[in-house]
Amino acid sequence: MASDKELSDFLKSVEKRAFKRALYSVRDEDAALDIVQDTMIRLSEKYVDRPAAELPLLFQRILSNATMDWFRRQKVRTSVVKNFSDFESAGDGDDFDILETLEAMGGSLASESTADSVSRAQILLAIEAEVAQLPGRQREAFLLRYWEELDVAETAAAMGCSEGSVKTHCSRAVHALAKALQAKGISP
Amino acid sequence: MNSLTMPSSRAMTSPAAADTLQTRFALRVAARLSERSHDLEPELSERLRVAREQAMERARAARSAQAAPGRVGTSGGALLLGGGPRWWTRVAAVVPAIALIAGLIAIRQLETEAEISTAAEIDAALLTDDLPPTAYSDAGFAEFLKTPRD
Repeated sequence: MASDKELSDFLKSVEKRAFKRALYSVRDEDAALDIVQDTMIRLSEKYVDRPAAELPLLFQRILSNATMDWFRRQKVRTSVVKNFSDFESAGDGDDFDILETLEAMGGSLASESTADSVSRAQILLAIEAEVAQLPGRQREAFLLRYWEELDVAETAAAMGCSEGSVKTHCSRAVHALAKALQAKGISP
Repeated sequence: MNSLTMPSSRAMTSPAAADTLQTRFALRVAARLSERSHDLEPELSERLRVAREQAMERARAARSAQAAPGRVGTSGGALLLGGGPRWWTRVAAVVPAIALIAGLIAIRQLETEAEISTAAEIDAALLTDDLPPTAYSDAGFAEFLKTPRD
């Protein structure tokens, strides 16, 4: 069973990222705060007897469910349309070579200084905006896998889908981000 | 901004190498997102802190409830009925309903017996009367009864 301190430290470590994750989905600060608060309370009330090691996965799963609950309550049609777009093929730019782009981005980091023309804060804002524009499931898989640093199996458990779907969502998300950032001349 | 160096394009052709490239790119994006998330407005950070403290209060309350489940579960009804065993409280709740149903059945039985008794008395009176019962179906006798007596 996680102690009070372990639970508090965990919530403190995850709350800002959770807020951002919810904000990318619902695009409303108050709603995102409500979702995070709801998630924290659900975790604290229902899973207080679980060991500390289980908290991250439980938290992410509850956060995903709380976000979906919010959409159900709000009946936002655009969110449904957005979710449907996950089933569409990401191969709309046939001439786009992801490997070439990633290599170019990685290789140019040492010499290319984007801060010369655009401020650092603007770059971060642009990256955040591109992440926010990803289709919902792709964004969720990307953030859980690389931001929350869950492995593929844990991400699949949190999202309630197969590991293959997680890999597909992540790959498409990286592809879309690389293409969008390259178009803006931004290297993360 | 980032000193990550990438292998040459000729070397990066296998699926594993592609995965590595994608992962590195994704982790760099995630690192930038972390930078942004640390720069939350003070008001938002404060509201998150309050939410966290509320959650911790709920956690402490949940722990207390788990530590003393007996006190919560057996209080209500048993105390109202003098703290007796659980089966007795169920019997006490069912007895009034059974008594009500039995009373209604008894009342119905008494009413039926009274109706039978009344009908038997009428039949007996008719059969023992000087006038035969068939007289009541005779049209002439009915007319005679309607005729006023002078």
